[in-house]
Amino acid sequence: MDIIIKDESNVCILNLRGRLDLASGTALKEEVNKLFAQDKVSIHFNLMEVEFINSSGLGALVSIMKEIRLRKGRLTLSNLASYVKEIFEITQLSHIFEIFETETEALNSHQPTLAG
Amino acid sequence: MKKRCFTYQSDPNLEERFMDDIVGLLDEHDVEESLKRRVCLTVSEAFTNALRHGNNSDPTRKITICLSINRNQISADITDQGTNGLRSIMKKSAPGPLSESGRGVDLMYHYAARTRFEETSQGGLRVILEFDRESQEVS
Repeated sequence: MDIIIKDESNVCILNLRGRLDLASGTALKEEVNKLFAQDKVSIHFNLMEVEFINSSGLGALVSIMKEIRLRKGRLTLSNLASYVKEIFEITQLSHIFEIFETETEALNSHQPTLAG
Repeated sequence: MKKRCFTYQSDPNLEERFMDDIVGLLDEHDVEESLKRRVCLTVSEAFTNALRHGNNSDPTRKITICLSINRNQISADITDQGTNGLRSIMKKSAPGPLSESGRGVDLMYHYAARTRFEETSQGGLRVILEFDRESQEVS
């Protein structure tokens, strides 16, 4: 799996490309741990180019989400292909993750709201 | 029905190789894309279970994947060299919402037309996944 990281002002965007399985899930967790070491806990995964995901890949995403929650951060996902979305629905993880249609929508949701 | 078998060590880094082997075989038989995805996903789940739970990630233990394909049906047979695999499948409970594992068997049941688990004479687990080509193509 290829992971391309873009560091926006208040959120790190990870574009994932390829297969998300047991081996690449471990690699993804290692990459995210490097972000945690820099105190980056607002993270977005763009899954547009994920061509395959299995339960081990889902497990890696759940593990990352739990770690982010512990650190009081936030994880969003976007651009799920229809077959990836279906797997999230079958496993009911679509209720657990914050999933957006587009990256822009997800990033907007990360913007801090101004107190009136 | 043509049958071809592949044998791998219990190494998570071999998942990409076995997937290439399976996709190549499915392509030889012009299996349509959505069915190919189902076969690949479910075989991947069975492979991961065999590697982690059956063979305990012991690289000296092997995983054998056999695929049989004809015009009407695809059958995948995944066998490990572990012990008590069938018992652990029977004891399996539903994963919690934040569980990091335990969803693979559910995906097998969902995507394969028929899913069976058997114990080999050596105590390993054999997973049999069957797919109907015609019904998949109609749906």
